[in-house]
Amino acid sequence: MRRVLFLIGSQKPKPSESTSASLANYLVRQLESRNCVTQTMFITSNSLKDNRVEEFLSTIDNADIIVLASPMYVDSLPYQVIAALEIIANHRNSLASRPDQVFMCVINGAIPGPHRFDTVLAICRKFCAEVGFEWIGGLALGGGEAIGGKPLDDLKFVARNVRKSLILTAEDIANGKPISQRAITLMEKPPIPVFIYRLIAELHFRKRAIQNNVYRNMGDSPYQ
Amino acid sequence: MNKRNFGVVSGLVAGVKRIHFIPHNNGKYTMRAIILNGGGHDDVDLLNIQNLICDELGGMGWEYEPLVLHKIRFASCMGGFGCFVKQPGVCTIKDRGRDIARAFINSDMVILLSPVTFGGYSALLKKALERLIGLTSPFIIETKGEFQHKKRYQKYPALAAIGVLDKEDEEARHIFKTLVSRNALNILSPSSASEVIIRNEDMEVAMAKIRGIFSMAGGK
Ligand SMILES: Cc1cc2nc3c(=O)[nH]c(=O)nc-3n(C[C@H](O)[C@H](O)[C@H](O)COP(=O)(O)O)c2cc1C
Repeated sequence: MRRVLFLIGSQKPKPSESTSASLANYLVRQLESRNCVTQTMFITSNSLKDNRVEEFLSTIDNADIIVLASPMYVDSLPYQVIAALEIIANHRNSLASRPDQVFMCVINGAIPGPHRFDTVLAICRKFCAEVGFEWIGGLALGGGEAIGGKPLDDLKFVARNVRKSLILTAEDIANGKPISQRAITLMEKPPIPVFIYRLIAELHFRKRAIQNNVYRNMGDSPYQ
Repeated sequence: MNKRNFGVVSGLVAGVKRIHFIPHNNGKYTMRAIILNGGGHDDVDLLNIQNLICDELGGMGWEYEPLVLHKIRFASCMGGFGCFVKQPGVCTIKDRGRDIARAFINSDMVILLSPVTFGGYSALLKKALERLIGLTSPFIIETKGEFQHKKRYQKYPALAAIGVLDKEDEEARHIFKTLVSRNALNILSPSSASEVIIRNEDMEVAMAKIRGIFSMAGGK
């Protein structure tokens, strides 16, 4: 039985709104039906508090495979995730012998376009090289807010390529292989056409501004 | 050290809010810069490099303020986009993170200074950068095949970045430089430049790199 640890990097106050969590949850189910046991942990300021670091590190040490499911923040990983990776690096680099472990990531960002993820994926790969995890690949989803925390099965057409990609990924993980190019390419496909996505995203922000009575202030420049 | 403070960020130290740049220099416009130093408590090398940067800025006649981030208490972004839809342009977290954003947008050049961590910035610098997204509009436009946030302000600062590595690492250097140029698009900077300094590098070499990125980033 392979032990797979999911680290979820979403910083949204409600996990039910997290696209990273939707992607992770789907992959969890796929892996559990392929003879893997999984554990999921959210990386928040709470999980990295001094008194919980030991527990965090022992959870890391006990996994065969680590899957980081995270949003992209400013072309990189969120602060809390980088802080977690720094803690893991300090820990692993202090061990006399490091256990063989495998690492992959599923990153999503709001803005469409797969090449935008090259840097964040390179950072994850570099982290693996520095701490001695075996890097088996990274998936990247642009326009990720189209998922918006919903279960992938509920999203029928919108999440069809994402689901296919995660099924292939689960097979690769269960068979001890690197993530296939097919899985990467499927995840890169925009869930909905980009112009529709942009329109929906714009309407979404406008609606929320109306609800908060600040619609007229959306273009304010308060600091200049 | 030829250090001159300017109003906005001095407010950070004094805890005073809503101070705006006061042009001195007999009414002539003075260029302004902030340094976001993402080094840890005991990172003397970064403080030394920060001093070199300050000396250079002073020599160029700029007003500048180094913000040593580990000395400033601020929370991390909660990812809820309140800065777009609750109080547009202002982070919903009421702390020093707001002052950092104000200082950022009122600068002509922002200098990021950080240990290179897996090719990227330290967690601490990253924490500060994430508090800046409210400086852009939530709406996305397409320019030259790139999707970007729309501007919220007329003018954005040039971005200069210095990464500090323990030893030469070509891959880390490449990732760092790519990250900075991508960030410049994201934060709507009109120009950007970056360099990597090795910890035990000769002072003269380090200084030449600093001068190089200032002339490339410009901040005009
Ligand atoms: C501080 C901050 C920075 C962000 N930077 C980017 C970015 O550089 N590129 C991008 O595509 N999306 C960016 N996003 C959007 C998130 O990646 C996107 O909303 C994602 O779907 C959130 O995933 P989650 O639901 O799992 O939290 C940013 C969001 C926040 C709050």
